[in-house]
Amino acid sequence: MVKHLQRTAGQTSSQIGNPKGNMLVPIFTLKLNHKINPRMVTIGKFDGLHPCLTAATQAGKVFIHNPHARGQRPVAHRLSQSTQDSDISLLNINQAVSCLTAGKLGPNTTGETLLVGSQTNLLAYDVHDNADVFYREVTDGANTIVLGKLGDISSPLAIIGGNCALQGFDYEGNDQFWTVTGDNVRSLVLCDFTGDGKNELLVGSEDFDIRVFKEDELVSEMTENETVTSLCHMHGSRFGYALANGTVGVYDRTARYWRIKSKNHAMSIHAFDLNADGVVELITGWSNGKIDARSDRTGEVIFKDNLSSSVAGVVEGDYRLDGQKQLICTSIEGEVRGYLPASKDLKGNLMDTSAEQDLIRELSHRRQNLLLELRNYDENAKGVSETNSGVGVIPANTQLQTALSVKPATEAQRAHVELSISTPNETIIRAVLIFAEGIFEGESHVVHPSVQNLSGCVRVPIVPPKDIPVDLHIKAFVGGKTSTQFHVFEITRHLPRFSMYDISLDSSEVPPNGRVTFSISDRPQRVVMWLNQNFLLPKGVDSPDVTFNSLRGGGHLSISMASNGQITLRTDDIDLAGDLVQSLASFLAIEDLSSEADFPGYFEELRTTLTEVDDFHSVHQKLTAAMADHSNYIRNMLVQAEDARLMCHMTVMKKRYRELYDLNRDLINEYKIRSNNHNALLACLKSVNLAIQRAGRLRVGKPKNQVISACRDAIKSNNVNSLFRIMRAGTASS
Amino acid sequence: MELHLNRVDYIQVGVTSQKTMRLLPALGKKATQKVAIADHDGILTCFGMKKGEAVPVFKTLPGQKISRMDLGGAAGTPQEKIFVCSGSQVRGFTKKGKQFLTFEANLTETINAMHVSGADLFVCASYIYNHYCDCKDQDYYLSGDKINDILCVSSEDTSRFSPVLACQDRVLRVLQGSELAYDIEVPGAPSVLELYNKDGGEEILFGTTDGKIGLVQIGERSAATKWEIDNEKKKGGILCIDTYDIIGDGVSDVLVGRDDGTVEVYGFDSSSEPTLRFDHILSESVTSIQGGCVGKESYDEVLTATYTGWVTALTTEPQKAEAGPGDEVRMSKETQSKIEALRAELEQLQVKVLQGREQYQQTSQSSTAVSAVPVFSINDKFTLCQDDASYSLTLEVQTAIDNLLLQSDVPIDLLDVDKNSAVVSFSECDSEQPNGNFLLATYRCQANTTRLELKVRSIEGQYGTLQAYITPRLQPKTCQVRQYQIKPLSLHQRTHSIDQDRPMNRLSLVGQFSFAEIHSWVVFCLPEVPEKTPAGDSITFHFHNTFLGTQLEASYCKGEGHFRSDNISTISILSDVLSKEATKRKINLNVSYDINDDSVSHTLNMIHPKLEYQLLLARKVQLIDALKELQVHEGNADFLIPEYRNILDESANLLEEYKKQPAHLERLYGMITDLFIDKFKFKGQNVKTKVSSLLEILDNYDLNSLLDFFSEA
Repeated sequence: MVKHLQRTAGQTSSQIGNPKGNMLVPIFTLKLNHKINPRMVTIGKFDGLHPCLTAATQAGKVFIHNPHARGQRPVAHRLSQSTQDSDISLLNINQAVSCLTAGKLGPNTTGETLLVGSQTNLLAYDVHDNADVFYREVTDGANTIVLGKLGDISSPLAIIGGNCALQGFDYEGNDQFWTVTGDNVRSLVLCDFTGDGKNELLVGSEDFDIRVFKEDELVSEMTENETVTSLCHMHGSRFGYALANGTVGVYDRTARYWRIKSKNHAMSIHAFDLNADGVVELITGWSNGKIDARSDRTGEVIFKDNLSSSVAGVVEGDYRLDGQKQLICTSIEGEVRGYLPASKDLKGNLMDTSAEQDLIRELSHRRQNLLLELRNYDENAKGVSETNSGVGVIPANTQLQTALSVKPATEAQRAHVELSISTPNETIIRAVLIFAEGIFEGESHVVHPSVQNLSGCVRVPIVPPKDIPVDLHIKAFVGGKTSTQFHVFEITRHLPRFSMYDISLDSSEVPPNGRVTFSISDRPQRVVMWLNQNFLLPKGVDSPDVTFNSLRGGGHLSISMASNGQITLRTDDIDLAGDLVQSLASFLAIEDLSSEADFPGYFEELRTTLTEVDDFHSVHQKLTAAMADHSNYIRNMLVQAEDARLMCHMTVMKKRYRELYDLNRDLINEYKIRSNNHNALLACLKSVNLAIQRAGRLRVGKPKNQVISACRDAIKSNNVNSLFRIMRAGTASS
Repeated sequence: MELHLNRVDYIQVGVTSQKTMRLLPALGKKATQKVAIADHDGILTCFGMKKGEAVPVFKTLPGQKISRMDLGGAAGTPQEKIFVCSGSQVRGFTKKGKQFLTFEANLTETINAMHVSGADLFVCASYIYNHYCDCKDQDYYLSGDKINDILCVSSEDTSRFSPVLACQDRVLRVLQGSELAYDIEVPGAPSVLELYNKDGGEEILFGTTDGKIGLVQIGERSAATKWEIDNEKKKGGILCIDTYDIIGDGVSDVLVGRDDGTVEVYGFDSSSEPTLRFDHILSESVTSIQGGCVGKESYDEVLTATYTGWVTALTTEPQKAEAGPGDEVRMSKETQSKIEALRAELEQLQVKVLQGREQYQQTSQSSTAVSAVPVFSINDKFTLCQDDASYSLTLEVQTAIDNLLLQSDVPIDLLDVDKNSAVVSFSECDSEQPNGNFLLATYRCQANTTRLELKVRSIEGQYGTLQAYITPRLQPKTCQVRQYQIKPLSLHQRTHSIDQDRPMNRLSLVGQFSFAEIHSWVVFCLPEVPEKTPAGDSITFHFHNTFLGTQLEASYCKGEGHFRSDNISTISILSDVLSKEATKRKINLNVSYDINDDSVSHTLNMIHPKLEYQLLLARKVQLIDALKELQVHEGNADFLIPEYRNILDESANLLEEYKKQPAHLERLYGMITDLFIDKFKFKGQNVKTKVSSLLEILDNYDLNSLLDFFSEA
């Protein structure tokens, strides 16, 4: 078997042997002449024995590379086949594939099942028997898929993540699991997060959150600063993640171990023990074709290699059938490389250069750095003549003052949080760099006044787009007006979560219609503490009854607490209400909190959306019927036209083809209508899912899950009134 | 024949300048050579290697920055006297470290190039060349542009010697006494010269700042170019060259060090053509390179010195086979003791640094003390790349860079560079505010990045300053700003001559200005013009536009200036900027134009092939995906017409080409639009309203309809 694989390699590309050097090199390299869609690569043993590399390619196709089965084919058959494509079979999905995976789904099957998701459907397919296992319509789309056991559910599930929704199917195609999440799901992984011996589902989504579901109960939530594009399980409760901005890192439970950021994008991450030290490393495939393996503890690179184009996916499998797992990396151009774990005597040293040389270099670097620092102090102690202004001499006691304040909108400037930085003496601030995550377009914001406007004070307007707490890492360049060298002051300031709310002293304003009410058993002082920590208050408050103006929408927010511990939040923004409830509950360490809510404006919108959904559904059905008619018509017309051609009736043939052309144009137009309709439908469904999620966020713990599942039931049974009742009261009854 | 060289680091000294490390000749029977290296701290270090450990022979006291080193000695004896120059002073040391010469050249500027030959000393400050014999003034020459290097060739019978100056204006100037004998045009600004044959002879190797190498033979009245190596792979500029037979085939090989850290060995095949035999990438500029034997007897090596002062050998000695299981056993005793010594030193330093930090903290309590951190050195280069008409900015610091802030007050595009691993982030520039920022970008560097390479694309006619604030990872944290001028005609480059047959437009200026004044305006407008006012009464410079291939001739003298170009936009930009500059100084200018209408169609004809190629490329690239899909669908591509099959076959190349030239088409469109507006500006018409119809024509491009549009409108 191994021989066969090697021969394939020989035909399609060059085979690289493992030379004596201590660097890890690929044990096989293949060039499959098919493009591979990023993140849609898997390995499946479809006949129960032979692993096959399976990936989505262009034109809605999935290819299965099976070099092992060749030996089983009759000799004559093999000879007649072209060497190129004999190992590859193509599976036509006829839709753009959005995710795929393979694994054991059914209880009694010998081979593994291939699961292919698209924006509308999920297909479970038995490659070995060439038969569909099931084919389900999924309205929320399948952005990503994972297969495995979840919590106490007995059979393995194929769990797909779509637009704000998660759905799990068993081998019969029954919908066994459903819940909603904050935004479109982009990545999923199953791992034992809590350490209870059962798998939890980790969900990475476009609202930058990684959520952990214990079945349909949300147990943890970690906020990152970009869309979470990949997740992978490392070992125990440790998992790796990748973001759309080029960050990869490792979490252990809710604590981040390390992360690094690159200017390239991480296409695929995978856990594999490449240096054979018994602990898996995080393997990352990058958009520039680089592959690196990083230690799970430190993030230190222990191995790297380069493919010629962007990596499409990183998987593992026993592709040589010799009992050893290989790490298999694929590129979007169809290049495949397999790596064996290092042999024991390499001692985990996979890099090209020798370790001792590196160590010496590293130590010398440190020495050089220390020497330079020492020189800085020595020269500084000697003092510099005042005339040499280029150096940027500043008084030694210069200290930077920073202050944060809320500024309502004026005619010249929109509302913002103002960070003011000033020096106490005649020195000037040449430029200010602020590095912070998630509040600027990039990772940094720069203020660089022109030469005429240089002064000792810089005001930076900050507009955080979301209510998240942020650390601002400020670097200010301080020196003289004509300096060419500046002192860099580094300060970190914390921006509280709800910074874009300005306290309002005018209590006569009409309170907003939307409200959420709940009771807590804590003292009001604790709520006051929470207010002071999470809002930007110039003086601080001493009572829990306050009113704010939102600087974003301009709406009001009022918080009041009755003597019996009942808190009422009044705002028209249901998202804000949810954020406040969640933030307060986690501050007061409340595990379960039920509440009553009413958001008349939002609920009215939702009602309209629900009617729209019905409309779109009926339009969709009508269009589908029309399309079926057309395709019959086309078939007839084509037969007629070809008949005419064979009979040499050229005029008739031309006429038929002209008609066919017109019909084709109609079909294209109809397709456009259909796809618009579909997109509108998707948008509506997403907002419905989002509404359920928002209703859930007004509660904490068990009541939250109850609301979500009750809402779901109400939608399934199409009971709109009950849906709103649940959203208001938290339960269906009453 | 394959060449395998292994990297070994010897020692680290301070920051080094170009050509400041030499190998001393081997002594008698002893085969290993000593190394002499000088750095910016003013220290001259001479060391030898003993059992893998650097053993110093001598080390001088710190002083002024040393900018060059050369070896010399009486004719016929081993060339083992070490000469270094710092400031305007030249000092000589024996191989034992005894100073035997201090010579003050009495130049106002610092010496930046030096050559020693017997009793003759040749030194160059930026524009001045001086020849001393036995420390007595002999000859003097004032060069038209900056001198980068100097060398002296002698004829076979050593009766005649000719100094050769490598000058920034792309010529090698060969002198005879105090007079210019002739000059040799070379393809780029030469940065380094080296004798091809160390014993003398008339052949010299030159390297250019844009990475080209060549060999010329210096005759008495003229020179002959033997060969030239182009820089197709876009490697860095040449900083140092040496010749040594490292391959061992009896022919001297050319060793080259570049400013992007590349070390190369060129061997010669049977037809005496140079071919690349070996290359290695060090992470920082290679400032000096030498071939010889230092580490171990009978193993030849290429010795390099880098910007941050690392002396590194690429040796033919094979690295020891690493047997045995444990790490400890594998490490040789020498390296182990080396590491231990280093660790001990580190600990001591750590303590000292802590003390220093404490003291520094204490001073911040005092109200009278000042804090002044010494300036760290930055090695920077801002050059125009001819091939893609963009500027490349390289920055190198002796310690790791933490972050870089780029600020520009002109619209420029920042391009991605593959080599650069730093995370870039663009910051919003509110142009409403009077801060005038058009670009604010931060680069956050990965650990141990000492060198950064960036690419920016400018637009002709838009001028201003690009500023880079560099913050290294060094306590106390400081940052330094460097400024780079984006000139109005930023895409122009100096050439030696222009094609006189093209239809030319002329701009003439007459007014009450001095030669120095008009020269300063030209310096302001055009890159690669020497800042010093040229000698003589008048001067002529030639340029070509690296993007379009159009040309410009500038000739001016006191009170009069003439600029001729086949590109009307060039003339328009010049006229705008020059009159603005003159107005600033309150000088009345009499401006006259001589516009040749043929020049417009000529320029359009020049753009035509580029535009057509780009359009075709864009169209082909657009088709690739669809064709590939068809191929997958049908199983093969045999049914396609040959043109499409060709696209499929070439798809990889096409995509590569397309990726290499981002926004090329937009740039061409922009230049055609400028041309259109400028043509009618000189006729006194404002045609800005017609630009939209011009763009329409460009969308369905055809040369004739474009020409018609230009002549009709």
